[in-house]
Amino acid sequence: MKHILKYIFSLIFFLIFSTESNAQEQSKDTLKIPQRYGLRIGVDAHRLTKSLYDSNYKGLELVGDYRITKKFYAAGEIGNEEKITQDDNLNFTTKGTYFKVGFDYNSYENWLDMENMIFIGMRAGVGSFSQKLNTYNIYESGNYYGTNTYVSGQEFNGLSASWIEVVSGLKAEVLNNLYVGFSFRLSYLISNKEPEGFANLYIPGFNKTYEDSKFGAGFNYTLSYFIPFYKKIKVNKVNQ
Amino acid sequence: MKQLFLLIFVTIFLSSCEKDDICDVNTPTTPKVVIEFYDAANPTTLKNVTNLGVIAPGFTNGFEFTATSKIKVPLKTFEDTSVLYFIKNGSVAPTSDDNSDSVTFNYTRKTEYVSRACGYKTLFTLNSTNPITVTPDSNNWIQSVVVSQPNIENENETHIKIYF
Repeated sequence: MKHILKYIFSLIFFLIFSTESNAQEQSKDTLKIPQRYGLRIGVDAHRLTKSLYDSNYKGLELVGDYRITKKFYAAGEIGNEEKITQDDNLNFTTKGTYFKVGFDYNSYENWLDMENMIFIGMRAGVGSFSQKLNTYNIYESGNYYGTNTYVSGQEFNGLSASWIEVVSGLKAEVLNNLYVGFSFRLSYLISNKEPEGFANLYIPGFNKTYEDSKFGAGFNYTLSYFIPFYKKIKVNKVNQ
Repeated sequence: MKQLFLLIFVTIFLSSCEKDDICDVNTPTTPKVVIEFYDAANPTTLKNVTNLGVIAPGFTNGFEFTATSKIKVPLKTFEDTSVLYFIKNGSVAPTSDDNSDSVTFNYTRKTEYVSRACGYKTLFTLNSTNPITVTPDSNNWIQSVVVSQPNIENENETHIKIYF
């Protein structure tokens, strides 16, 4: 189910992206194209749908960006996650809130007054969360006496982490002022306050952590609405 | 550019199918107790036990050792006491010449986090009084037991010396 959804979403965006680039042709006249500036707010459809089909996950992420210049957008995300992770020898619940702020740079040259984006950007992210160790196994190679599982329930509160992200993605206007988008993120942990006697194996907003590595990865599918504030006229130069 | 996006999507598909890590054999997890066998008549000389078999009471499978003076056996991670039968000639047939000595290990336990793949491990500390007892029977082959390292935290050192 999870994989099918991902596949469908990706396919849709890929098709949108393909047709957009085909549609782009050079204009031969001088055109006065009004550029709209404003606030775009939305929600991560992936976290929203995952909350519905995955009983071990509850999460919501709100996204927003504000156009500052022709190419630059101030951008950010705020979210809350509660996730149960089942590993071979561990079961734990992570609960927490995160906040990311940064910018997007639109590298896509729009045709006429279209307002689509293929962007790269950066974020600084902070998360505040707790880990609850539900059950754990004592690992003993050979396992002679059988698996020894403990039910713990021990909570580790007041944990935090910060990281930076490199973002790459796209946003396409599908209806008037309504955008669908996708972004892929590569993250790098800057700080990580680990619990005593456990580890931050999952960090809300950062996702899964890896041993001996500070890198992480994530993505979102956004559905957002643009609220125009004002317009600026942009003069497209003749290309020949 | 299109190829780049395709690559990103493919990467995400693959990563979502990735199997979780498996605990590596080289990761130090719950240590086994390391035992060396010495000649009682000549206490500095290591001596091999003839076809040693070690088994816990009530178990049908145990550990078999041939021609070694150093063995590793597991302790219970869910109790502060483990009993193991050390059976001389026990790893081979017939059973008529077997000589079984019951050895009791008394210790305290400490749990420590290892990793995502391995979970937790137990570290043992042998009690300062009566750490190891050999149940007396009519024909004990073990003559004495000496604790050389009461803290069982890894398998790199010898914890117990058995003289016979």
